[in-house]
Amino acid sequence: MALAREPNAVVGRIERCPLCGHEFDAEGQGCRPSCPMARGCRVVCCPSCSYSFPQETGLAGRLRSLLDRKRSTR
Amino acid sequence: MTPSSAGAARSGLEKHVVAAPRTVILVGNPNVGKSVLFGALTGKYVTVSNYPGTTVEVTRGSATLDGRSWHVMDTPGTNNLLPMSEDEQVTRDILLSERDYVCIQVCDAKNLRRGLLLSAQLAEAQVPYSLALNMADEAAARGISIDVEKLSRELGVDVVATVAVERKGLPALSSRVASARPAKLAIRYDVPIEDALAKIEPLMPEGGLGARGLAVMALVGDASLRTHLASSLGDAQLAEIDAIRRGVAERYPESLRFVINKQRLAAVDRLHDSVVTRSGASVASSFGRKLGAWSTHRFIGLPILAAVLYACYEFVGVLGAGTLVDFLESVVFEQHLVPWIDAAVRFVVPAGAAQSFLVGPPGSAPADHSGFLIGKYGVISMGLSYGMAIVLPIVATFFVAFSVLEDSGYLPRLAVMVNRVFKWMGLNGKAVLPMVLGLGCDTMATMTARIMETRKERVIVTLLLALGVPCSAQMAVIFAMVSHIGAGAAAWFALSVLVTLFIVGWLAARVIPGRGSDFMLELPPLRVPQLGNIAVKTLARIEWYLREALPLFVLGTLILWGLDRIGGLAVIERAMSPVVVGVLQLPKEAASAFVLGFLRRDYAAAGLFVHYQPFMDGGALSREMQVEIVVALTVITLFIPCIANFFMILKERGLKTGVAIAAFILPFSIGVGAVVNGLMRALWL
Repeated sequence: MALAREPNAVVGRIERCPLCGHEFDAEGQGCRPSCPMARGCRVVCCPSCSYSFPQETGLAGRLRSLLDRKRSTR
Repeated sequence: MTPSSAGAARSGLEKHVVAAPRTVILVGNPNVGKSVLFGALTGKYVTVSNYPGTTVEVTRGSATLDGRSWHVMDTPGTNNLLPMSEDEQVTRDILLSERDYVCIQVCDAKNLRRGLLLSAQLAEAQVPYSLALNMADEAAARGISIDVEKLSRELGVDVVATVAVERKGLPALSSRVASARPAKLAIRYDVPIEDALAKIEPLMPEGGLGARGLAVMALVGDASLRTHLASSLGDAQLAEIDAIRRGVAERYPESLRFVINKQRLAAVDRLHDSVVTRSGASVASSFGRKLGAWSTHRFIGLPILAAVLYACYEFVGVLGAGTLVDFLESVVFEQHLVPWIDAAVRFVVPAGAAQSFLVGPPGSAPADHSGFLIGKYGVISMGLSYGMAIVLPIVATFFVAFSVLEDSGYLPRLAVMVNRVFKWMGLNGKAVLPMVLGLGCDTMATMTARIMETRKERVIVTLLLALGVPCSAQMAVIFAMVSHIGAGAAAWFALSVLVTLFIVGWLAARVIPGRGSDFMLELPPLRVPQLGNIAVKTLARIEWYLREALPLFVLGTLILWGLDRIGGLAVIERAMSPVVVGVLQLPKEAASAFVLGFLRRDYAAAGLFVHYQPFMDGGALSREMQVEIVVALTVITLFIPCIANFFMILKERGLKTGVAIAAFILPFSIGVGAVVNGLMRALWL
């Protein structure tokens, strides 16, 4: 089980569910260790409707930050 | 249920309390900051214990609020007092069994609508409460403005904006706890429902929840309430309630739970819209609202659904699988990357056994030798080529299409449309969610099957996911192949899979005993998708796909390479020949695709894609080949799930059920393939 657990894979921040629109803290909403592919997985699960989606980190996270900065300077 | 006297005696300080402390119960939707608020109110000294008969934890502590001592209980997050999960039932049962308590309803100010749905039910149950609009700072930052005074007037309870993590608003909230009172908000339902409630209310026992709230629960047939009612009511009264419920239920095509939730939601929407304003242009236009309503309409929604699917097919099947795959595979990999790497290796590694091992003997085409990097089963010429040149462009276009559907708000509407079809299949409508998720990743979706209420539902959903819901990568490759085989053959494939799913779902729902429940999903407004959002969502999915799929593609190639070197592929092809060639009438090479489909389903589909690609590109697919493609795709789609999904099934459903599902699917998929093959050759060829 140790292999399947990486608690820091999901970044704790506010996420908006693309399915139902619910906004929630991603902390603790990451992929569960029962998934054999969970190690390092950044898929989060909406606490309201259970829809799963990958968190925008890495390149996608940087692109999101760039777009947010551009929007805020407009 | 109140905290034990032992707990009260824990601190000598509590001996100074004159009046017996009352209980304040924190209730709210999941993830709204209840626990943070609980910690801020109570401090360190809390007890955590399982609610009797469950594994659900309930936290208790004590606090001095506005100079008065209180017991404080933190309950599991709930969206509904009509429980649909063990957590929700625990919260409802606490409210039902406690006496002389008040509540603080904690609500996420960013998601007020969901919070108000619970407020309305607390009002219905005459529970005294104050409302904490938590995360008020985040709501303000998103341009959401809530008229707190008006909301307080409309509800008839105190409403306080809070930021629990910063302790903002907590003194004001503490001072309102003692004055908590039942809300005056009264939701009126249809006349038949109101008439029925009027008859049931007098029968309801006294307790923590008021008679009207209990009557609503009894009217919708909440099974979890039955034991409570049976302890207070006689058989005749229970029979009377059942008769009233049956009489009202006959008047509606949907279940009473659905009807009541829908009417309650409409009332909550009116209240929400009257107290919430948003800066910017986030309020949906009237056209957007109309389009949103049409997209879930029983009849108008169908052509919209067809148009959406056709657009997806053109984008993924024609652009992604045609143009982009051709360019990446034929130009980038075949003409440039593979020859460059081949030349580079031959330049660096001296001619001889090592060079031949890596890139094959000089002068021979990659397809004619077994080089490790470049060769028939080479890590680069096959593994990376499959992953980067064939599957990646298709899944990338699929992810773009998926992100557009997500960002536009159409995806939940798609779930609503498909929901009706699933009901015909004999499935609980709530199963739509894991099914829709399965189109992204079946492994994730299998885990999501936990949201189903009963074991029966979870097993059926898991079975159907494993059997016939293709994941995004596999569906993308299927799209690609279907785009080359013509409408008739494509229809045979689609119907084969859908009819099989329908029959298996229908039979499973009838063979396995149990009950169903309703599908409730909040529909966000339909909106024009934002280019930036689509780019970010697509990129996030591509990163996720590359991390998960590429290593397995390389592993699959290594297995094929190893089997080829030791002659194992020929053995597999010979062993499976009676089934693959004899029963399914497919080329013997399909055997290795089926075997490696266990590693990843899309790997198997990509293998078939490569096998038929020369004919597809040259427009030389014979009708017999189209039959072969339909049969092969049907078998691969229905075939045993990939290794990750299989382990997830074992983990979630247990060894016995997991093995049983696999044991059913394996011969069944071959059997369906044989039937499709026979029918197509008899009726279509």
